[in-house]
Amino acid sequence: CSDFLDSEPVTVATESNFYKTPKDAYTALVGCYDGLQTVWAEGVSLPVGSEIFSDNSFGGTGASDQFGYQMIDEFDKLRSPADQNMFNLNWIAYYKAIYRCNMLIGKMDQIEWGTDPDGLRATYESEARFLRAYLYFDMVRLWGSIPLLTAPSEENLQQADPTEVYKVIAEDLKFAADNMETVTYAAQPAAERGRVTKWAAEALLARVYLYYTGYYGQNDLAGVVSKAEALAYLEDLITNSGHALVSDFANLWPAASLLNYAGEDNIETVFAIKYTYTSDYSGNTDGNHWMVMTGMREQFIYPYGNGWGGATVTKSLWDAYDENDTRRFATIISIADEELDFTNQEGQREYTGYYNKKYSPMVDEDGNSIAVEKGGFNFMIGQYQDYTSIRYADVLLMAAELGSANAQTYFDDVRRRAYKDNFTPLAVTQTNIMNERRLEFAGEGIRYWDLLRQGVDVAANAIATSVSVLNGGVAADKKILAANIQLTKGLQQIPYTQITLSNNVLKQNEGW
Amino acid sequence: QKQVITGTITDETGTPLPGVNILVKGTAYGTTAGVDGAFTLEAAPTDVLVISFIGYKTTEVPVGNQTKIAVTLAEDMATLDEIVVVGYGEQKKALNTGANLRVKGDDLQKMSTTNALQALQGQAPGVQIASTSGQPGEPLKVTIRGLGTVGNGNPLYVVDGVLTTDITYLNNADIESIDVLKDAASAAIYGSQAANGVVLITTKRGKAGARAQLTFDAFYGVQKVARQVDMLNAREYASIMNESAVNSGKSIVFTDEEIAALGNGTDWLDEMFVEDAVTQNYALGATGGTESSIYSASLAYQSQEGIMGGRGLSYYERYNFRINTEHKLYKDLITLGQHLTFAYINNNGVGVGNQYNNTLRGAFNTSPFVPMYDDQGNFFDNSDASWTGGSEANPYAEMVYNNQNRKNNQRVLGDVYLQVEPLKGLKFRTSLGLDYFGEETRAYTPEFKLSIYSFNNVSKVDQYMGKGRTLIWDNLISYGFDINTEHRFDVMVGTSAYQYDRSGIWGIKTGSALDGLKYGWLSNASTVLTLGGGPTDRGNAEGPLIFDEQRLSYFGRLNYNFKETYLLNATFRVDGSSKFDAANRWGYFPSVSAGWVLSNETFMQDQTWVNNLKLRASWGQVGNQNAMAYQYLTPITFLNVNYIFGPEEGKGALVPGGYPSRLGNPDLKWETSEQTDIGFDAQFLTGKLNVTFDWYKKTTKDWLITAPVLATAGALPPVINGGNVKNTGVELAVAYNNSVGELRYTVSANGAYNRNRVGQIPTADGIIHGSDNQLYNNALEFYRAENGHPIGYFWGLSTAGIFQTEEEVQSYRNSEGSVIQPNARPGDVRYVDRDDNGVIDNGDRHEIGNPLPDYTFGFAVSANYKGFDLSVQASGVAGNQIVQSYRNQSSQYANYTTAILDRWHGPGSSNTIPRVTDDNRNWTNFSDLYIQNGDYLRLNNVTLGYDLSNLMKKKYLSQVRLYASVLNVYTFTKYTGMDPEIGYGIDNGERDKFSSGIDLGYYPRPRTFLLGLNVKF
Repeated sequence: CSDFLDSEPVTVATESNFYKTPKDAYTALVGCYDGLQTVWAEGVSLPVGSEIFSDNSFGGTGASDQFGYQMIDEFDKLRSPADQNMFNLNWIAYYKAIYRCNMLIGKMDQIEWGTDPDGLRATYESEARFLRAYLYFDMVRLWGSIPLLTAPSEENLQQADPTEVYKVIAEDLKFAADNMETVTYAAQPAAERGRVTKWAAEALLARVYLYYTGYYGQNDLAGVVSKAEALAYLEDLITNSGHALVSDFANLWPAASLLNYAGEDNIETVFAIKYTYTSDYSGNTDGNHWMVMTGMREQFIYPYGNGWGGATVTKSLWDAYDENDTRRFATIISIADEELDFTNQEGQREYTGYYNKKYSPMVDEDGNSIAVEKGGFNFMIGQYQDYTSIRYADVLLMAAELGSANAQTYFDDVRRRAYKDNFTPLAVTQTNIMNERRLEFAGEGIRYWDLLRQGVDVAANAIATSVSVLNGGVAADKKILAANIQLTKGLQQIPYTQITLSNNVLKQNEGW
Repeated sequence: QKQVITGTITDETGTPLPGVNILVKGTAYGTTAGVDGAFTLEAAPTDVLVISFIGYKTTEVPVGNQTKIAVTLAEDMATLDEIVVVGYGEQKKALNTGANLRVKGDDLQKMSTTNALQALQGQAPGVQIASTSGQPGEPLKVTIRGLGTVGNGNPLYVVDGVLTTDITYLNNADIESIDVLKDAASAAIYGSQAANGVVLITTKRGKAGARAQLTFDAFYGVQKVARQVDMLNAREYASIMNESAVNSGKSIVFTDEEIAALGNGTDWLDEMFVEDAVTQNYALGATGGTESSIYSASLAYQSQEGIMGGRGLSYYERYNFRINTEHKLYKDLITLGQHLTFAYINNNGVGVGNQYNNTLRGAFNTSPFVPMYDDQGNFFDNSDASWTGGSEANPYAEMVYNNQNRKNNQRVLGDVYLQVEPLKGLKFRTSLGLDYFGEETRAYTPEFKLSIYSFNNVSKVDQYMGKGRTLIWDNLISYGFDINTEHRFDVMVGTSAYQYDRSGIWGIKTGSALDGLKYGWLSNASTVLTLGGGPTDRGNAEGPLIFDEQRLSYFGRLNYNFKETYLLNATFRVDGSSKFDAANRWGYFPSVSAGWVLSNETFMQDQTWVNNLKLRASWGQVGNQNAMAYQYLTPITFLNVNYIFGPEEGKGALVPGGYPSRLGNPDLKWETSEQTDIGFDAQFLTGKLNVTFDWYKKTTKDWLITAPVLATAGALPPVINGGNVKNTGVELAVAYNNSVGELRYTVSANGAYNRNRVGQIPTADGIIHGSDNQLYNNALEFYRAENGHPIGYFWGLSTAGIFQTEEEVQSYRNSEGSVIQPNARPGDVRYVDRDDNGVIDNGDRHEIGNPLPDYTFGFAVSANYKGFDLSVQASGVAGNQIVQSYRNQSSQYANYTTAILDRWHGPGSSNTIPRVTDDNRNWTNFSDLYIQNGDYLRLNNVTLGYDLSNLMKKKYLSQVRLYASVLNVYTFTKYTGMDPEIGYGIDNGERDKFSSGIDLGYYPRPRTFLLGLNVKF
């Protein structure tokens, strides 16, 4: 009789019958990548948010929108007191992705690897640990103190000391860098591009090293990686990876190069979060849901698509470029300089005349969204441009900054591409490197963290501003106070919903 | 010596009663009255005729020397011989020890509703029935004795012995009676299904030896909106927008000349509603039987058009077929029978869900500036409008474009049963019940453009088909016997096996070759967006729900009475369910109840004022297992999980993945509800006054809840057992019937009081939080379940008037002297700093409203005079609150109701409605500004009828009644919305279904004027 009551689901596997074979492990690993792909599907995306936090962009958005983007731009809670959960969906999505990684990492021992001639275990474990490190690095930079889990847990955890988080990040990345096979860019099959590589782990490790030692004023990365080791990883990458610069800077960006676009997974891409246009509202979340934020406010002008007008680019960024620098027009859409007939100042908040070109939605000559033409659900969730997280140019500049013997060459390589025939040498100093990094990576979500790792005061002074912008077509003052950045230490708000759920075990960051 | 006697039998109104049994006392000889109430039989003068008919008092007539006898049967309002339906059987009402009540099908039919439950509204104390929407065919929320769960609170329905969850497929004309089992002792025989109470429906059946009777019932009516909310017209709107801009530090938007030049603009609510939406019903029935076979069959059609959008957009129609028969074989040794109802339902509807899926909301939030049509008569494309940058869309057109759908479903419900009675009193009964459904939905979204946000570039077709079935195999043995004629025992034991499964297939494609819903089939479209199928529903972003359930049950009942004066009833049920891990699979549900019929005692015999008095007490435990299948496991989901590697884009390049999507809970078990009930049934004044009273305490514990978990858990929360709620209350029903000359009347009233208090909840903060983003975009949480409060109470700030002056702002300080709202300006709301910490924050939020009524009540009056009949029925609730949120506060441009005309606009102008600002700062904190009292008394039905058969005097016509009714005649309420009966609450599936009383733009219940006809042959 009791057989009558026994049944088993047939449309899902269960934890007890999954995680058995290497094939299961691969499926679960793709689940981890899927987790990474969705962390910015809702809420505030870090690429856009980081630009807004920095001196590259203002909050922007629509003239009658709520003031959440101004709040995070100005580090001022009072700008939009009702916005208590700006990052809640991101917080949830990050921990979902981490849970998937933790689950897979914890099951490594129970999977029947057999003789594993291809070293699948080391590869999969490295990838999963890289992804976990990548996710934690975003979170710990954004929120400062976060609960740290290296195995699934339903406990109500206190926030960990940031150093503990960095220790896990460093160990995960070191594991990946040390255990992944040496496969050059050229040797990697095209269909596997986008997978984590040894090179991605080495580059991210250096990025984490620079941020942690800078922001927290430490001499090594949580006792795991020294400066020399960080540099050694980069030099290994530069020597052995087969990665190189794409010859023309503009060709890195679809909207800046059109037919000459170097393509996704090009030789310069060390790591990217990959997207495609198959997102829908029935659970498929594969697209770049955040690029619509930076499009021009509700107006398209070929080849630039319409969007919500978020993260309007500051004039100070435009002015930072030498006119001989090919990166200026590749990075920024200038309404005036490109003689674009933009008329919707009325609908735009914090209009500056400049928009992000690196991540701009695109339309064809008839004004149809390219994403929709390709088969995207709509122009909002159908965008498919990958987020290029780590470029080889960054590797060169980080190596220069860490004191490589070839620092000047690396520095010149990056600058020579930017200035082409107008290249004039410049000495490789810390100041020049930081300035070059701004010009090279503007619009890519890197600048803010480069500022912050030079110290909260440096960041606060660089970001503080008082200029005139157009709000709904009317001139208005835009002010960002250094004091707010100093008070918050450049960190953002922890979602109040999570604090409430934790019964106040989670503590809010100062100023929020 | 015998003589031939002829006679007629009528009821007290003079209407002939067909089918009445006439028996010569002490013999088996008798006859049955014909269609015209006439009978003929032979009897001796010393004989006594016993004349009996269900629902009437049995009368004895000595024959004497009469040869013509005219008998008037008195209707028996609460006959002691009345039979009530109990679980797996029937029982004499006089011997019943539970708190249950019966409503006759005829009384439901009189209400002329599409849904039998709506007709039940106000007729059953302790049973709260509320519409979730006025849209035709939408379900009703039925709460018996207070909400006992945060999950699904609907009762179990049992139709002719078949357990089901939905009875909307039934036509009122098919219902013989509805019995509601309210106390746990009555319901416990249904064990794990009965925690929310049980509603037993008996469909009509024939009568042995009765002549055939044909009936025809029809009504036709028109409906319209009963009360409409007024929105600002274009001039008022422009003035308010000006004031809002000025209050926000901007200059005015419209000059006086511009405002003067504006007309009224578009009244969007007017556009959404239609006049004269038709509702109609036709039912043809036949019943009859011989001594060995009985039958009842019917055919019915019913349809109702929605008052919003009319037939094309909001519609429900239903075809019903029913045949119930029973046959006695081998001289009553074997009884074989069957119930079968088939229903075919077509319906379609507009959005009546949350703020993103509520069609009416557009009408509240779109400015009156947007025109309905352009020059060519097409819906206006507002993209180029300067106001709001073309972001406003015609809400009527959005309704038309976004709600092109057709649904149909088919339902077969019934059983085949066989009963063997080898010895007198010993019965074995086996039955196989079936509840089968098939359903199909189609939706088509055309290409359109109404604004810069409201457009669809590529037509879309969405199609779904599913089916499911429940099989129930019951086996019962019952034996009834007397000892010394004074001790009566009735024993029953039984088993039940239950199996449910369903599956479906669905797809969405874009790029339809042909335009229009008519062509909205998958084959006509080119690009696949979604394609799926499985033993599940079609699912949402969190994946589909798996439906798969087996249950195995053993149960028994003992009834004992001593001289029908001391009554005892005990039941026990054991249920095993596939929903739980083997270790927690079985649940045990006992009950016991007792009764004492005081009026049978000798010391009461001399009383004349009380005719019948029975005291009752009961205790029992019942269960709830309303969780989806496999919640005890951690599932690995593969649905929509993938990543894209390599340079190729699109579907073909996706690499599938999987991940654990939800936390499993192997310890999951039943939710248990325990209830104690004490009450009495009494009859006074020779049966003219009937009173029933009950007190109960119901504790529901070990809720099956999906309490939100910390994000760090990394997956969807598991279903857990935890939390409890106590409902305590009293119920009183009083009915008085009498006659004055030929006027017979009944006046009845019933009322119930219920107090709902949540106990401990096993989450870190002891709270089940409600969802955010519900009242408007980015709105915060505003309802909760928490210890010491009613389920779903409203959580927010208290206000204390409006700051009139800057001085008032500055002088509003806490005890330490800090200014509490330094950023406030005159005209802003003053919030109460309850924790006196000098700022307005979560510490100041508290219970500011309760969506659950303290009191529910109903009244009815009916009267007959000669051929006329009049009935009036009303019902209402009191003590509850409603949250009204029509406006999307994230937009400065959303229209306002005319209530805003009384806003603060200068010192002394208002102390209740704050000033208007572009950032809606006074509305972005949930406060008691959103709360209104929900008390109401609704006159549900007024009907006046006349029976023409008296005039027609045709032998074959026993009734030709014409009547006129008004439904939803008038509602007495202070609530300012369109309808105070707000059954709507936020529905986040299994996770969050406990809120109610939330008016986001509620599809109101219509007012209906109808004419009807009842003919009986």
